[in-house]
Amino acid sequence: MTELAAESAAARGLAVCHVCGLASPVSARRCPRCRDSLHLRNRESLQRTWAFTLASLLLYFPANLLPILRVESFAGPQSSTIMGGVIQFWQEEDYPVAIIIFVASVMIPVLKIISIVWLCLAASSGWQPRGMTRLYRVTEFVGRWSMVDVFVVAILVGVVQLGSTISIHPGAGAISFAAVVVLTMFAAMSFDPRLIWDAAAVRAQPAPQH
Amino acid sequence: MLVPSTSSAQPLVCRDCDALLEMPELEEGEKAICPRCVGVLFTRGRNSLHRTAAFAMASAILFVVANSFPFLTMRAGFRESQMLLWQSATGLAAEGYPYLAAAVSVLIVGAPALLIGGLLYVVMPLLWERRLPGAIPLCRWVLHARRWNMMEVFLLGVLVSLLKLGKLATLMVGTSFWALVALIICLTAALASIHPRELWGRIEEARR
Repeated sequence: MTELAAESAAARGLAVCHVCGLASPVSARRCPRCRDSLHLRNRESLQRTWAFTLASLLLYFPANLLPILRVESFAGPQSSTIMGGVIQFWQEEDYPVAIIIFVASVMIPVLKIISIVWLCLAASSGWQPRGMTRLYRVTEFVGRWSMVDVFVVAILVGVVQLGSTISIHPGAGAISFAAVVVLTMFAAMSFDPRLIWDAAAVRAQPAPQH
Repeated sequence: MLVPSTSSAQPLVCRDCDALLEMPELEEGEKAICPRCVGVLFTRGRNSLHRTAAFAMASAILFVVANSFPFLTMRAGFRESQMLLWQSATGLAAEGYPYLAAAVSVLIVGAPALLIGGLLYVVMPLLWERRLPGAIPLCRWVLHARRWNMMEVFLLGVLVSLLKLGKLATLMVGTSFWALVALIICLTAALASIHPRELWGRIEEARR
């Protein structure tokens, strides 16, 4: 199937408002409909995306190595990391829960960081724009589910707090983990998928058809 | 499928790949697909405004219910403790994690409240083709709040917590839990009923 090379709006000086989607001349500076500032591409998109991604990668280590939860019950004090929680559910034969936590808390953050790095590389090389745009949409959508472990900590701490025979305290891993999730969300928000198409157009150019 | 733009008619630009296209005339229930990146440009739902208004109204009522009744009850020995929805955030603050508490309260109370309240304020007057003062900046905030509303993730967290604590104590879900389940369904339906581009188009046409 041959593709019609749809012209990019930026080539005609048209910027699409990232809030309301209205296309207007970038020279207007502000969207005439919703008053948000207009840019042809997200500002310093790749720099910001790299910065957020690196920060989340760094925090990924304390998030997984430090305990997210400390339980003091009649069985004695017990700290658990994210992976410890997965293993515990697995040993108790709650396989579906173990798998859900493993996917949401361990796999998704890693895959999200890898795919953002991959997207940044594609934005420089223009490789597979259609597939990469799809990857971008998936990446933006799934990251939120990683927050589940932070909510588990919040709920357990909240419900047990009001005095009983057991006590539960949050650990430093929990805040690192929440930061990883929020930072990867910022990374995905800063990324501009149109850069992939720009790079692809540049790549396609030096081959004139005869 | 759409054709690339040729005339100077109302342009439509794909947000994901910057393709310059012509604004199509869509019937209710149709969607426009970008020919370049195959993403959905926009959809025109059936009775979109009425559906969004109805689901937003239901969400608002359920939000109040979800925050007013016990969410979880824990029984360990002879002691019984009840937790309200927002107490899952305040517990973290009491344990010396104020930032984490702030983040959790934004994700499960702040963002949903802004989303529901803003949606009602913007969409209800649109039923009469009216726009209230401040509707435009508020609509911008509503669209941002969408991604920070994590109630459905929180619900998964509740289910995991029930299993996790089930071995140490008896946990029971309260009225709020069921309100939250219904709220997630209604809010998802409210947001799915209207596409941001259609919403902005209607705001632009509305009288002040």
